[in-house]
Amino acid sequence: MTSESTSASAPALRGAVSGDWLALSRSAARSFHSVPTVEERRELLVVEAAGSPYAIAVERVREIVRLAAITRIPRTPAWLAGVVALRGEIVEVVDLRRRIGLPQAAVTRSSRIVVIHGDEAGIAGILVDAVRGVLRIPEQDVLPTDGRDFRAVVEMVRTPDGFVGVLDLERVLGAGDEDGR
Amino acid sequence: MKRILIVEDSATMRSLIGASLEAIDASVKIVEARSGFEALRLLPRESYDLVVTDINMPDINGLELASFMKGSAKYASIPLVIVSTEGSERDVEKGLGLGADAYLVKPFDPEALRQIVLDLLAVRPREC
Amino acid sequence: MAAPRNRKPGRKPEATPGGRRAASGKDGREFVAEAEEILELMCTDLCLLHEQRHGEREIDPDLVHRLFRSAHTLKGLAGLFGLDALRHLAHRLEDVLDALRLGRIDGRSPVVGLLDEGVSTMLALVSGFEGEDATRDAVVARAENFLAELERALAEPTGASPDGLAAVALDPSIVRALTEYEEHRLRENVGRGRPIVLVDATFELTSFEEGLAEISGAVRESGEIISTLPSAAAAGDGKICFSLLVATDLEPSLLARRLDRANGSLSIVHPGRPARATRPADPAQSPAEPAGAHASAGGGFDASSSGAATGPGAEDRRIESLRSISGSVRVDIAKLDLLMNLVGEMASQRTALTGIVMQLSADPRTARIGTELAKIHKLLDRRLKALQAGVLDVRMVPLRQVFEKLSRVVRRLRIDLEKDAQLEFTGGDTELDKLIVEQLVDPLVHVVRNAFDHALESPEARAVAGKPSIGRIRVAAFQRGNHVVIEVEDDGRGMDVESIHRKAIERGIVSADEALSERDVLGLVFEAGLSTRDEVSQTSGRGVGMDVVRSNLAALGGLVEVHSRKGLGTTITITLPITLAIIQALIVRVAGERYAIPLSSVKETLRLEDHRVLRSEARELISLRGTPLLLRRLADEFEIADAGAAERGFVVVLGMGEQRLGLVVDALDGQQDVVIKPIQGPVRQIRGIAGATELGDRIATLVIDVSALVAESSRRREAA
Repeated sequence: MTSESTSASAPALRGAVSGDWLALSRSAARSFHSVPTVEERRELLVVEAAGSPYAIAVERVREIVRLAAITRIPRTPAWLAGVVALRGEIVEVVDLRRRIGLPQAAVTRSSRIVVIHGDEAGIAGILVDAVRGVLRIPEQDVLPTDGRDFRAVVEMVRTPDGFVGVLDLERVLGAGDEDGR
Repeated sequence: MKRILIVEDSATMRSLIGASLEAIDASVKIVEARSGFEALRLLPRESYDLVVTDINMPDINGLELASFMKGSAKYASIPLVIVSTEGSERDVEKGLGLGADAYLVKPFDPEALRQIVLDLLAVRPREC
Repeated sequence: MAAPRNRKPGRKPEATPGGRRAASGKDGREFVAEAEEILELMCTDLCLLHEQRHGEREIDPDLVHRLFRSAHTLKGLAGLFGLDALRHLAHRLEDVLDALRLGRIDGRSPVVGLLDEGVSTMLALVSGFEGEDATRDAVVARAENFLAELERALAEPTGASPDGLAAVALDPSIVRALTEYEEHRLRENVGRGRPIVLVDATFELTSFEEGLAEISGAVRESGEIISTLPSAAAAGDGKICFSLLVATDLEPSLLARRLDRANGSLSIVHPGRPARATRPADPAQSPAEPAGAHASAGGGFDASSSGAATGPGAEDRRIESLRSISGSVRVDIAKLDLLMNLVGEMASQRTALTGIVMQLSADPRTARIGTELAKIHKLLDRRLKALQAGVLDVRMVPLRQVFEKLSRVVRRLRIDLEKDAQLEFTGGDTELDKLIVEQLVDPLVHVVRNAFDHALESPEARAVAGKPSIGRIRVAAFQRGNHVVIEVEDDGRGMDVESIHRKAIERGIVSADEALSERDVLGLVFEAGLSTRDEVSQTSGRGVGMDVVRSNLAALGGLVEVHSRKGLGTTITITLPITLAIIQALIVRVAGERYAIPLSSVKETLRLEDHRVLRSEARELISLRGTPLLLRRLADEFEIADAGAAERGFVVVLGMGEQRLGLVVDALDGQQDVVIKPIQGPVRQIRGIAGATELGDRIATLVIDVSALVAESSRRREAA
């Protein structure tokens, strides 16, 4: 692509290094607060919506809170469950079921809000039916999906119990209005 | 393609330097950094064939950037041109002492800048 | 390394005509915009500089350096465009600022007082850049005068130059990268006996700025950063090292402890002399720590060379300057916001406490404790109110600074448009929240510029109309209750209601058969489709970009209105809340949901059943003391529930500027102090919602944006 260095260092090595830089800056652009590592395992928080598991990159999770009263906001899309007060901060909560095209369900005792570090240092919540736990998955068990098949799932991870969809948080928390009224 | 990074906090100056260099030919691609910090962030992202920097900038100055580039195995070989304003001669000397490859004093003749840049680019091997 | 080194093909080309850029076109405009930006920054910096000079405070070297950089950049830009007068002037200013930053002249030198004139002359020159030759010549003449004065002032004897750089144990690789100015700062700080340390820190490349900011912040609290040197050598991939050369007032060991949290490591380059006087100035330093402890803890800290070396005179000056520091403190607005939030939260907890006091007092078994508690509560309440007022007061700034900016704008317009106008200001002492003032500048400049450019007629036209040949613009600010009102009044041609109405019909903003009052029509100038058209501004005399003005002010919870009489003039009235931070709110209930309405916009509340609801077209209205009051049901607006036409409930009479609206709600829940917080999350802007608050029960309560509701109401008039 560009001209190569004349220096004594092996060109191949140089290429590999800049490739890492590229990967690092890409992952940095994706994940806000996380410290990108070149580790081969991925940590994922597994949550549940309508009986199916979904995974969220752990480094994007700020905290998990028990369901507080959600205040509905008028004039907003149906996938926005409303806002909650979180230690002085007012945070919007996205209803994961509605966001991925499933019907809304009654909130139960196991319902949780997963608070995510969003872009520009802001935060946002995702309402899920339950939190199952954290998975550590080797990178080779993460398989890409065709983005057109799903609303918010970008990758699939292979687990002993079957496949789990990894959520693209930008799509879940994006202002995209495909399900809006 | 020749990728040139311009580090300069003045928007006017940036666009003038950019326009001067783009006039060389279509293979020149200009990337702009508005501050030394931005340059530090941009340097590892892509490989550059040449860097043009101002001296007086708000966060880190051109000499500090020069010292960074010339002291690093990765960037030392990238030709570095310091563009300074008259009155900073001592700083320019220091820049050359740090390993900068050329300097130019503002207000500069765009042709002179192009000549310097072409000279520096020519020393490097052609496209692989 | 095969890379070419130390080649010096650089030559110093003359600014040949071919090398110059034509002083017009896109680059020209870009130049003017940037030059103005630089000059405005210089104005602000000069204000600060004078404050420091007159306050006998030590002059902040970073400030002087920034001023120098501004002049330096300007000089370079002017040279590029072949603007010799501007370049010359910038060069001379740069000389003065260079001498000042390198300590060759003293901050109290009269030359420094000449800088303002220099900056305003440059501003005039930059404006003349777009203007006519004649004006430019006049400004150049002004510049010559200024330069002559500057030469005279510079000829006066100046302060002594500092001593040479003492032996400082610095790595040559660091010294090599120091600019002349940085060398001077190093020398200066060594001369003053400050310890010089090197702070090394390694960061992730992706987030180094935050990490560095944390360290810089800690260092700057009690010292100065002389140089920030990045290096890639010692860092691993994806990391970057920084070496900060720092002069500090703290004992190095103490600074090291402070930097610990930010992962910085510290080494001492030059021990410095322990200056006693520094200690009381640093409130963060624990008084319990014995003075001797630091000397050894610092490692290589030279305790033997005591303060005596500085000489008694220097010591005195130092103590004096420290004393004057304590007179006023500049505070980061973020810290004030934090205080504000705390006070706000206390206010909402107080409300919760009120409830408990009432419960206790109501129960005969606990009535006695209740009464006791009520007394304490009352005292607490009073203190809290005072605290709140105190914190609010700190955030308040007078509008005068906005007015100064307006007069600069008009000064420029005079040159650009070759038109004169008398500008009057009243109420510069009126205070507003700093954040509001910052956001207010742009819309206000816009309004004044419109008045000058479009509303005021030519002298000939004014003579025909029997008006004084020079037009007048009056900007008046005053407080009205919890609001500040700013009026911009001109005696120009006024707006042509018929023409505006016609244009609005042509553009389909209103329909031809709609009956609109004169005020309704004037309000249309704030509509996007209408106000951006130039033809309207020419025929009607006003209205460029007024939609932007309205939306900017609405974002501040403000409202803008227009009054105009054809041939006589126009008044634009801006109404703003005094602060955005803590407000008193009326809590209302609709279909089980709670909402907060800023009390400053609530005129009164009424019981719906006491009034007969009339219908006209699709609107409901009641008669309020003989005038019609349009009603809107909040439940409908927010699609909360099918409100139908319930006969029970309350009407909250909202007033913004001169507009009124009756908002129908189910119940009133009393008043509370609330802190309006922004809503975080994917949906950024919600029409009709200004933010949310927490009322002490950990449930978010939405705050209604009254100005948006009122504006919507007047816009919806055409809806059938």
